[in-house]
Amino acid sequence: MITRRTALSLPLALAAAPAAAQTMLAAPAAAPAPAPIALVMNSGGASVSVIDMTSRQVINTLPTYREPSHWALTPDKREILISDASGNALFAFNPHTAKPLGHVRIADPYQLGYTPDHRYLAVNALRLDHVDFYDATTLKLVKRFNPGKKPSHLDFSPNSRWSFHSLQGSNALASFDLTSLKMRWRVPIGNTPAGVLWHRGRLLVCIMGGNGIVEVDPRNGRILRGQATGRGAHNIFYDEAGQRLYVSNRLGGTLSALDPVTLQVQRNYRIPGGPDDIGIDPAGRIWIARRFAEEVAVMDPATGDYDTIPVGRSPHGIFLSTCLRQTGEITAERL
Amino acid sequence: MGLDRCFSIIAGAIDQHLILPVLYRFGWMEWGDLSFNWALVCVYGLFAVILTYAVCWPLEAWRPVEHWPSRKAVLVDIFYTLLNRVGVIPVVTFLLFYQVQTDFTGQLVDMGFIPPTLETLIPGLFGHPLITFGLYALILDFADYWRHRLSHSFRAWYALHALHHAQRQMSFWSDDRNHILDDFISFLWFFAVGLAIGIPPLQFPLLILGLRFMESLSHANIRLSFGPFERLLVSPRFHRLHHAKRAAGRHSCNYGAVFPFWDMIFRTADFSAVWLPTGDAKAPEALATGSYLAQQLTGAKMFAAALARRRHT
Repeated sequence: MITRRTALSLPLALAAAPAAAQTMLAAPAAAPAPAPIALVMNSGGASVSVIDMTSRQVINTLPTYREPSHWALTPDKREILISDASGNALFAFNPHTAKPLGHVRIADPYQLGYTPDHRYLAVNALRLDHVDFYDATTLKLVKRFNPGKKPSHLDFSPNSRWSFHSLQGSNALASFDLTSLKMRWRVPIGNTPAGVLWHRGRLLVCIMGGNGIVEVDPRNGRILRGQATGRGAHNIFYDEAGQRLYVSNRLGGTLSALDPVTLQVQRNYRIPGGPDDIGIDPAGRIWIARRFAEEVAVMDPATGDYDTIPVGRSPHGIFLSTCLRQTGEITAERL
Repeated sequence: MGLDRCFSIIAGAIDQHLILPVLYRFGWMEWGDLSFNWALVCVYGLFAVILTYAVCWPLEAWRPVEHWPSRKAVLVDIFYTLLNRVGVIPVVTFLLFYQVQTDFTGQLVDMGFIPPTLETLIPGLFGHPLITFGLYALILDFADYWRHRLSHSFRAWYALHALHHAQRQMSFWSDDRNHILDDFISFLWFFAVGLAIGIPPLQFPLLILGLRFMESLSHANIRLSFGPFERLLVSPRFHRLHHAKRAAGRHSCNYGAVFPFWDMIFRTADFSAVWLPTGDAKAPEALATGSYLAQQLTGAKMFAAALARRRHT
């Protein structure tokens, strides 16, 4: 196990694990680019499945402690951090090769993300009802909030002024000022809110106990409008080009494609088996974790047809290494 | 498709088509991330019952220790089994454990302490899930040995545990016949153990199922010993000595549930090659042949009386 200080900071990791770090540094210059991989967090299997995206075969299964769920890239994109909530740990991997880089002890990390200014690592501790802000470099706890029950998903304003957190057990959405580290507001938002996404100056929040998303004014938490997508709307993503939004409807067994401007549903794809998080590859295919089917579906959005790849129990978060080719900010679980 | 995967898919279907719609209907979707685990526990529980029945029933028919003119007294044990393995008790225990564990862990974390797991206490275990599981199984069996032994050592506790021993028609259904307060004490006991070493990883439910099967088998009305392996795993003969009338009460033997090592180490093992009648001669008849409610009520009264007598003395 590497230490808290070395786990997530490459310069310090160089000192602590020179061989591994040398490999990481040498790889881009000396070797061809690694084959693209997908990492799938098997929440019920205490493991991460590594899929060769070309052959669509599971090529490795990496252990975690208990319950891997979500991921975040470090600001330098050299490590992917995978949260293990009931294992109380963050696991670090090389995002190109899935080489394990160690783990650190963190209380109950569920969804997590670096603030866009790379100052904090924000962690929602769903089980323990915490929202924690850690120093992004040292991973020392800076501030802990107890804003309500079951903080689940989060996002930030692009200018790093505010963070937003759905409180699944309190049916509320909370926002924090990242300058003063104080709560700005907490508002009722709907039954069991889950995925949160900053989108064109607004917030989009999935209402898992309802049948769609709501658009929220980030200044005050006021609900501006709602859009039905499907029962159990769980998480929301946008594609690389920003041309479409996708909402996974866990109970409805569908994936809804939304127009990013009007938020109107353009198409509903039938994806049974509890669709959860998604990734989109450079060819535009959507990789969907199917929680109850123990599979990842790879869907062609043009036809809605999909192939499946068996993975571990209760696949949850999914990371595609092809997103590393993007030039923009990918520090949180956003495409 | 492997059995493990098959069960997960069945549990997923139950979750998606039965549990989640109920949670959704009543506004309880905050539990949606955990409901799959509830379904999985019930699916494995049901399979454990089916497997145990499929294996033990023919064995009991083939080589029974005792022939009973009526098996009516066994019916209540079937109810206990279904309640404990497939019914509400696993889910209630799951929820209770989750909430208590969460609250307590939250308090510790607020004080700056993250509770350990076996893998954090012994870092070399990480990445060796089978060895880790085996070590957890050993430690938990050791803890259960002492829980069980202590339940025979205190008068009030045994007043509850006597329900388990009162059955004169002991069969593979008898493993789960326990007073609900006795189950609650077990819950607290393992909660404390869980705080010390963490909760075992659940990626090997088939192994957990195997351990539960061994516990059921050890109660079966079968003339069976494990021969050269008698000192490795608790056999029906070994455990029957624990349930023998002579061993009921505060001076018993063979407390181990899965492994007999602890009895051997702490000198409570009895490997005699005898097949004795089971039951507790001092227990009220209601504990042996009463209905579920009658047994629970009688056990509670005995417990209260034992506590009162302790205060009086």
